[in-house]
Formats: sequence, C-alpha cells, structure tokens
Amino acid sequence: MKYLLFVLFGIVTLSCSTEPEPLKYGTDVCHFCKMTLMDNKFGAELVTRKGRIYKFDDMRCFLNYYNSGNEATSDFQHALVIDYLNPGNFLNAYDAFYLKSSAIHSPMDGQVAAFQSKQHMMPLKKEWGAIYLAWGEVVTQYK
Amino acid sequence: MKKTWLLGLVVLHSFLSEAKTYVVNPKGQLKSIQTAISLAHDGDTVRVMAGHYREGNYIIKKSIVLLGENLPVLDAENKYEIFTIVANDVSVIGFRMINTGKASINDISAVNAIQTKRLRVANNQMENTFFGIHLANSTASLIENNTFHSDAEAEHLAGNGIHAWKCDSITIRNNTIRGHRDGIYFEFVTHSHVENNYSHHNMRYGLHFMFSHHDSYVKNTFHNNGAGVAVMYTQDVTMIGNRFEDNWGASSYGLLLKDIRDSHIEGNHFLRNTVGVYMEGSSRCRMEKNVFKDNGWAVKIQANCDENSFQRNSFLSNTFDMATNGSLVLNTVDYNYWDNYQGYDLDKDGIGDVPFHPVSLYSMVVEKMPSSIMLWRSFLVYLLDRSEKVVPSITPESLKDNHPVMKNYDYHF
Repeated sequence: MKYLLFVLFGIVTLSCSTEPEPLKYGTDVCHFCKMTLMDNKFGAELVTRKGRIYKFDDMRCFLNYYNSGNEATSDFQHALVIDYLNPGNFLNAYDAFYLKSSAIHSPMDGQVAAFQSKQHMMPLKKEWGAIYLAWGEVVTQYK
Repeated sequence: MKKTWLLGLVVLHSFLSEAKTYVVNPKGQLKSIQTAISLAHDGDTVRVMAGHYREGNYIIKKSIVLLGENLPVLDAENKYEIFTIVANDVSVIGFRMINTGKASINDISAVNAIQTKRLRVANNQMENTFFGIHLANSTASLIENNTFHSDAEAEHLAGNGIHAWKCDSITIRNNTIRGHRDGIYFEFVTHSHVENNYSHHNMRYGLHFMFSHHDSYVKNTFHNNGAGVAVMYTQDVTMIGNRFEDNWGASSYGLLLKDIRDSHIEGNHFLRNTVGVYMEGSSRCRMEKNVFKDNGWAVKIQANCDENSFQRNSFLSNTFDMATNGSLVLNTVDYNYWDNYQGYDLDKDGIGDVPFHPVSLYSMVVEKMPSSIMLWRSFLVYLLDRSEKVVPSITPESLKDNHPVMKNYDYHF
C-alpha cells in the first residue's frame, strides 16, 4: 500500500513537471508554423507554469507566439532558445546574445541566431555583417 | 531587311568565335576536367568520357557546356562541393556526382549556382550528396531528368534535393528525389513550375514552398515523406493533378496549407494520409475535383480560414471527412460526393434531399482531446454521433454540403 502511494505520488509530481524538454529534430513540430523541426542550430521552447510545452523552429515563430497574448508572458516558467554554436542545446532566452543578419538562413527566415556569450558571437558578427541585439531588442523584432 | 542583317551578324559571330570541343578521357591526352575547363572559352563544350574523376571542386566562370558520356563519375571524396557555377548559360549534362562534403553551416551541393541565368542541369545522378542542386538568386533555369539519393541517417546531415532561394522562372521536371531533408524546397521563388517529379522517402517534406508566389506544381507524386507537402505564407499557387500518398504520423499530412491565399487546388489524389489536407489561416483557395480516400482525416480546416471553397470532390472511406476547431465557418462546401452520406434522393435529381454535415460530433471531441480516439467505433460514440445528427448542438451547423451528390464522381487522372 505504501509503495502504491509512492508510485501515485511519483506520477502526480511527474505530470506537474515544468522542466523543459529537449527538442527532437525530425519529429517535433513547431507550435506556430506547424513545420517539422529540422535545423538544430535554430529553435526555441516555452514552458508554462502549468507544465505545458511549446516548441518552435525559429525565433520568428517563437516571438510571434510569445507576443501573441494567448498567454501572459509572466506565465512562462522557461523561455529557451537554441545555442547556434552548440546545436540542440538550450540557452535562457532572456540572457542570450543575438545576431541579426540576412546572411542567417533560419527555417522561417527569422534572420536571428542566439549565442551564449559575446566572445562566441563576435567572429560571426563580422563574417555576416550582423547587428547585435539583446533580449529587450530582439523581442520586438517581428512586431 | 532586318532579318538578313541579323543573319549576317550571326554568321560573322560564328566565324569570329568558333566553338571548340575539348574531350576529356582518362586514357587520352587530356585527362583532367579542371584543365579542360581552364582551356575553354565562352560557348565551348567540355566532353567528358566515362571514368572516375577525383578533382575536388570545379568552379565554372564561363558560359560552357559540360557534357558527360556514359555517366562519368565525379567523386568529391566527402570533402568538396562539385560544381560551383557563377556564369550564365552553363549546362551540366550526364554526370554521376557522388560523395559531396557535409557541413551544417555551408550548404555544400553537387551543383551550386549563384546569380546565374539560363542554367541547365539535366540527366545527372546525384548520390550521397548533402544538397543536390542549390540555386541562389538565379533565373530562367531548367532542371530535368535527374535523380537524387541521399543515405543520411540524421536530419541535420541531409540537405534538400533541389533547393531554390530567391529565384525566378525556374522549371523543375521529371526528377526523382529520395532520402533528402526536403525533396524540393522553394524560398522566395516566383513564376516557377514543378512538373512530373517523384519525391519520396524524404525526411521532412516532399515539396516545401515558403514565401513563393505565382508558382505551379502539376502531376507530381509525393509518396511516404515525413510530412507530405507544405505550402506556407504564399499566394497564387496552382496545384493540379498531384498525388499525396502514405504520409502517416502524429503530425503528418498530405498537404499543409498555412497562410495561403488565392490558390487553386484541383484534380489531386490524397490517399492514405493521417490528415489529407490541413488548412490554417488560409483564404480564397479553391479545392475542386480532388479525391480523398482512406485518410484518417480527409480535411482539417481551422476556424481561421475563410472564403475557401470545396466543390465536386470525392470523399471515400475516410475515418473523418472533415474536422474543425470552432463553430464559425466562413467556407463553402458544395456538390461533393460523401460515401458517409445516408440521405435519400426521392426527386431523383442526383442530389441528396437533405444536407450532409461532414463534421461529426466525435471529430470535434477528438480535436479537443486527442487521446479520446481510443473510443472510436464504440457503441457509445456511435450513439453520440447519431443523436448529434438529429439535433446538431456542438458541430458547426453552417458547415454543411447543401447539395451532396448521390453518385461518386469516379475521377481518373
């Protein structure tokens, strides 16, 4: 009986998890544009306080949904973006460094890539002739 | 008078620059294609005899014809791009191109054309290439009778079969594409035509259109791709006589229409797909004379679509004929054949006497709660659907076919 309780408790806590889930490229579908995720240099994820997970293939879709008002931005427990130089791995969207350039060919032509730090970003900034954006600027890009 | 003057100019021109042919042969004097290319001038031909050539990347800066005899093999040894074309009026005909390099940052291809006009790529075989043909900022080009095959296991190791970006007036016909990311990919491509291609077993889409206006695709077959065909953020696309077959999976469909306007979809077959057509945010599309057979959902139309019309289609043995996610319906559904229609035709005019409601109550339930599909075909669900038919309460009352025809149209294309 005790064990059963433990198991039940486990299931309950599991189903309330608000932990992010890795993006499964080739299987997962962008919540906004319905495209299958393919390019692991790009992508993003939102996890709500209730544990609902939304996956995106491009900054454009991610921010369009983020700003859509379907959910208050304060309801998002996690906002994560894929590290361009570390494909498939997340960065906190609020702390990431962003580059915007027409040389960046992302799945939905969002033209934005995300980086972990300024040092990582600088060589590509020069190569692409890109402009640097912080979260506060990138969030208004597609309005 | 003007004609003879022009003729004279042509004759004079041909005397001044007599086109030469360089023959490359592993057993002959000229063994290197690179050398032949460097010797050639505009208008010349490089004929390449059968053999196995490992010469890295060929950069073509002249308007020449590259002609392979008996499929000479160009081996890029998993390192290089094969042809990089930056001149107008280049033809690449009759080669077997294998083993290009793979990189996730650069789009390495068998044929990469940058800012060219009137390129022709015909009768080639691409095997184990990252991208097959990559066109950027190119116009008036023809890609025909090629085969593309990629063995890549992971999706980021496969590029697209034919990839066109910011192009205009491209014709793509009679190609076979297998195992790539997207079979054919269009982004910002206008006035182009895709005909009679066979795109199958690609990881994502058989054909993928984004921001590409005034294009048409006709008589292609898309079979068993990750998720069929996607046409997105585009207007004025003509889709006629294509086959969308065997796209199965949780988020799979024959045709995805996302933010499409003013398009014409006629005479296509949608066979054995999880969802035949998935429509979202689309307006003013005409769907006529299509056949939907053996699909899970024939048509899923989101409530944010308007002014679309579905006329004279045949709906045969689909689990659900139509599904939607709202009660407001701004689309026309008329004169279709539904094999689920159970009404009578007492006045014998070939049209059922009562309208047909293609959205069943249960499809609305499943739309809200996907896991409830488990109860499908149970007695309870049957009862629910029946009572809903008598007194519609949840299903959108306005989504109905007022003239359901009694006889199958029996389209054969």
